[in-house]
Formats: sequence, structure tokens, C-alpha cells
Amino acid sequence: MSKNSIKIFPGAIVCEEAKLRGDITVGSGTIIHPCATIVAEAGPIIIGEQCLIEEQAKIVHRLPLDQQNKENTPVLIIGSHNVFEVGCTVEALKIGNNNVFEAKCFVGNKVTVTNGCTFGTGCVVTDEQILKENVSIFGAKCHMRESLDKPAPQTLQMETLVKLLPNYHHIRKPNCKH
Amino acid sequence: MSYITGPEVVSYACTCGLIKPLPKLYFCRHCSQIRCSFCVCSEVDSIFCGKCSENIPSAEATMKKNRCANCLICPSCQQELSTRIASKGPANPTDAKSPIKKTYYLSCYFCRWNSRDVGIPDQPSATGGWPQRDNVHSHRLQDVVDSYKQIMLSQKHKKEHDKKKKIGKFVSYTDRTGVTASALRKKIGIPDTPHALLKKPKMPEPAVASNDVDELPEHLITTPLNLMDITTVEQRLLQPESQPLTVDKLFPVRKQLSIKKSLRCRCCERNVSKPEFNPSSVKFKIQLFAYFHIPEVRIVSLSPLVEGVPSELILKFTNPTQHQTTITLLNLDLAEQENYVKELTVSEVAECLEHSLSLQSKQPGSLTSISVGSGSQPSSLLSLTPRQPSITVKPRKIEQHVNCDVEMPEGAFVLPPRDDAAEYDESSDVHNVEHDPKHVVWRKSNKAFIKLLVVPNANLQANQDVVCGFSMEHIYTNILVATMENKQPQKSHHRVRIFFNLGKITRE
Repeated sequence: MSKNSIKIFPGAIVCEEAKLRGDITVGSGTIIHPCATIVAEAGPIIIGEQCLIEEQAKIVHRLPLDQQNKENTPVLIIGSHNVFEVGCTVEALKIGNNNVFEAKCFVGNKVTVTNGCTFGTGCVVTDEQILKENVSIFGAKCHMRESLDKPAPQTLQMETLVKLLPNYHHIRKPNCKH
Repeated sequence: MSYITGPEVVSYACTCGLIKPLPKLYFCRHCSQIRCSFCVCSEVDSIFCGKCSENIPSAEATMKKNRCANCLICPSCQQELSTRIASKGPANPTDAKSPIKKTYYLSCYFCRWNSRDVGIPDQPSATGGWPQRDNVHSHRLQDVVDSYKQIMLSQKHKKEHDKKKKIGKFVSYTDRTGVTASALRKKIGIPDTPHALLKKPKMPEPAVASNDVDELPEHLITTPLNLMDITTVEQRLLQPESQPLTVDKLFPVRKQLSIKKSLRCRCCERNVSKPEFNPSSVKFKIQLFAYFHIPEVRIVSLSPLVEGVPSELILKFTNPTQHQTTITLLNLDLAEQENYVKELTVSEVAECLEHSLSLQSKQPGSLTSISVGSGSQPSSLLSLTPRQPSITVKPRKIEQHVNCDVEMPEGAFVLPPRDDAAEYDESSDVHNVEHDPKHVVWRKSNKAFIKLLVVPNANLQANQDVVCGFSMEHIYTNILVATMENKQPQKSHHRVRIFFNLGKITRE
């Protein structure tokens, strides 16, 4: 594993206790809690704006076995306004905007997540697929349904965290300019 | 807890002959007998809504078809729906001071279904007024319900009519001979004119089966199927009146009410379990669970089972009561139980006969004997049915096959009373039980490990479960009588049959 290179845009709150490995870019307004794990193993990870990554969440960029050993290194791009709740594990190939990964869900590395999707608590999604927009997966049997609009953004929660987190944690300094 | 007691490894035989694990059994203190869910009477104690925790009187519940008036559940995932606020700009955009207009819609936090998905308009008030959907078949249902109500009424009238007839001071000649007026009429050939109240109730028009079926829509074959648009079986059955085929016809459903039930011993008609009335409380007013009265037995260890070879079984006995008990292990003796059941049924039949005979002899005059002779229905039936307690439970034979012998240890052992503080007491084992028999391996406070030898039958198949069992006799201290009559606690010997599923035999 090469040296860590972490780029943080102004306005992002990245706690020092967060475990970041590899080449990671964090967009402005994104909050990364302590003890969140982000591993850029197969290539760089770019996280968009206003994402919320809670503690014990794991974002791993790891390619499926059949796609490894290719020449060009793929980039995992995570869009804006995504919420990664406590204890989720996300290895998806591509993540759009306004998705919610609820607590303890697992998304495998063959899944492409578009926009406005919800992965319910404890749901395990591993099959190769491109999810439609605004799909929510819920329940022990991973039922799927399509809703009309995207899940509501967590603005209130994020505003509180922006104020609270710096009071109790060491924050990494932003090292990039707009 | 359920991972220890849940799997049916150790099961106890109920007085009625069924076999269940200890946490599923009750113990009636008045009869000093074990009862299970099949030999108690269940009664509805209170009806409540699980979401708003409100008690609802049974009459009101019947009127509302056992559904809560305020709470709705999600038609997509059957979880409870919650109301969410959506603010729509100020009512009067030109006036800055006008209050922001709030509207409410329903949303499910679990599957993200919301009332806007199916086009239900937002409501101005939080408490609802959600549009009710009319049942297409409501008229037909009303017809059927009405006709059944009529049947009920006419039967009631008939009963009253019959009663009046019987009470009548003067016994008519036709009643004595068993030839009724209507029978006479038939004999003579006059058409039978029934009593006005006894008229046959009008039945609703029978449903007609139709042969006309819509043709198969072509789009079913031509367009690809989108499974996300189609409802699941659970979703359809949740709304039996409409049974929607597609998800855009899913409408919120009123939440079904729950009940709290109390259980009554069928022999003494006293409660063995009674919950607290308050719907938000999970406690009991009366809880006579066997778990608090009968010593609990668990398997500690078992050496590999080989057919025909003795292996060592260590059991842990726990005394759950506040009184010292003495446990004696006895042979299972299923034949004895079978005989007991047989004797009981024989004695019951005899009792019934005696009862009915005495009833007959008590009847004034020779009315009944005549009616029995002539075969007139009502009076003869009355005298023959024995008057028994409302519901009785007949014990059954214990249907449990045992294929493993247990070598019974000699002598009894003592279990000291349960002491909750003993766990924190470093210098434990104050109860030094003297003359501990050889088979007691270990003991601490109210628990003891007992070593037994089990011998699986020689002709066992490899895939067969090895089951052994024994009778446990323990001394049960009944404090109920003591508190009621200011006497010493009554001690009695209580015997229960216990079965162990020891797993499969090991092959070398």
C-alpha cells in the first residue's frame, strides 16, 4: 500500500480518529465521524459534498476478483448528500447522490448504486446489478420497492454535527482550496 | 434465555399428558398440578392498540371491527405509519406575517412508503381524517350479516318459546305422549302453520357463478414484467376486500387491535396468569409459571452415546422456590400413567351414568320414563346429558417413545432454597448439606449436579434420537394455604415426568 494521500476541502469535518487509508478526497461539507473506516485499496476514492459518514461505517474500494489486474486504476466516486449510518459496510463500485445506507447493511462490490436509493437496516445486497433510482430495500428478505422521490436529506442533523464535533474531537485540517 | 430453554431438549410432562419445555408450563397452586396452554382456559382480558397504547372496550372494538381508529399501518411492509409535517409556504404570500401553512402526510420509516406515493392528498390536521375507502362488496356483506342476525334472533325466540312451553303449569296431553301439534297436523293432512316468530328467516340471494371472464390482456405477454409494480401475497391479503394487484393501489390499513389474555385453570377455575390492565405494562398480577415452582433440570455434559454401553450424563438441578426441597428420582413407569388415564376415564363414565340415573329418579312423576320410551327428542336429551363442570380436561396417555434406560440413583438429595444474595456472597456454601449421596458431583447454593448412567437400547438406528426420561419427586411447599388459614406451610410430594432428548448415537 502506497503512502496515504488525503485531500480535504474546506468545510469538511474529518475527525482524526477516522481510519483513512490510500488516496482519498473529501468534498466540502462532508462529515466523517471518529472510527469510520475508509479504505482505498484498488484506487482512489472521491467523496462528494455534504455526505455523512457515521462511526463504524466502512467504505472499502475493492474490486471483484475478475476485474483485478487491469491496467487502468478505477476511481470510486461517491456523490453528494449520501448518508452512511452506523456499522454499514459499503463496497459498491459507484455511488450516486442522496443514497442512505442504514445501520449494519452490506453492499457488495458488484453493485452500482445510482441516486436516491435506501439500503435498509441489516440488508445484504451482493448480486451484480445496477439499482434503479429511488429504490428502497428493506426487511429480512430484502424486499425492493420504488418510491417517487428521494429520501429527505439530513440537514438538521448535519448542522448540529458541524457545531458539535469540533468541540469534542480533533479535526483534520483542510489541505485543499476550491 | 430462550437459547437455553428454547430448544426442546429437556421437556416436562403436563398433567394432561402433553410434553412441553418448562417455560411453557403453568403451575396451579390451588390444585398443585402442572397445567399447559392446552389445559387452561384463555380469556380476553383487555383489548388495546399496540401503537397508541389505548384500552378499548370490547363493545367499541367490535363496532370498529377490532381495528384502531387512529393508527394506520403501512400497506407495503405492515409496519406502523407515522405522520410527517410538510410545510407549504405561507397561506398568504403577500403578507409576511401570515402563518406558515402546515400539511400532514403519512410515511413509513421502514420501507419509505408514503401517502403521496399513491396520491392521497395531504391533510390539514395531524390526527387524520384520512380518506376511507369504500368496500365494493359492502352491500352484499351487509345482506349476509343481516340475514345471520335474523337467524340468531329467530333461534333466540324459539328457545324462549320452548322454555315457556316447559314452564307451563298444565301439561298438555300431546306433550305427554310426545305427539306434538305439528305432528298431529301432518297426520291429519293440514299444512303445518308455524308460529309467527318461528318463521324461517329470509336468506340473501345466493351468489351466481359467472362464466364470463375478461380476455387475457395482451400487455401481459408483450411488455416485460416489472416486479416492483406488483404486490406481494402478504400485501394483497392485508386488504382482503380490494386485493390490489399493483403497488399504486396500496392504501393505508387500520391497525389491528391486540389483546391481553388471562389464563384460568380448568379444574378450580382460578387464574394461573393474569396480566396488568395497563396496556403499556408488561407485568403480571398473577403469574403462576411452572418455572417458579418446579425444580429446573438442565443437561450439563454427556459422554458419547454408544448403543448398549452405559454413558455418563450429568444434570443440573435448580430449586427456584424459597423453600428447601428434597428430590428423589424414580423410574419413568409410563404404564402406570396409562393405567391411571384408563381408570380415570372408566370412573368418569361410571360417574356420568350414576349422575344421570340419579337425575332421572329425582324427576317428579314418570314423565321422563314415558318420554324416553316414546323417543320424544327434547326431554329425553335433557335428562341424559350429565351435568358436568363447564369444561373438563381428560388426561391423555403420554405419547413419548423412550429408547434409553436410566440407572436410578439410590436415595434422595436436598436442594436448599433459592437465595438471590448468595451469588454475591464470597463465603458461600453456608448450607452444608450432610450425608451427600454419592451421585451428587457438585453443589452450590440452590443448585446441584447429579451424575446418572444412561444406557441406550442395543437396537438403535444411527439416525434415531436417543430419548430417556425419569420421574422426579420433589417436596412442594404450598404457602397459599398457610397464608389463608394461618397454618404452617403445607408440604406435599409432587411428581413430574421429565424427558431428555440426548441427541444421536455415535458410531465408531
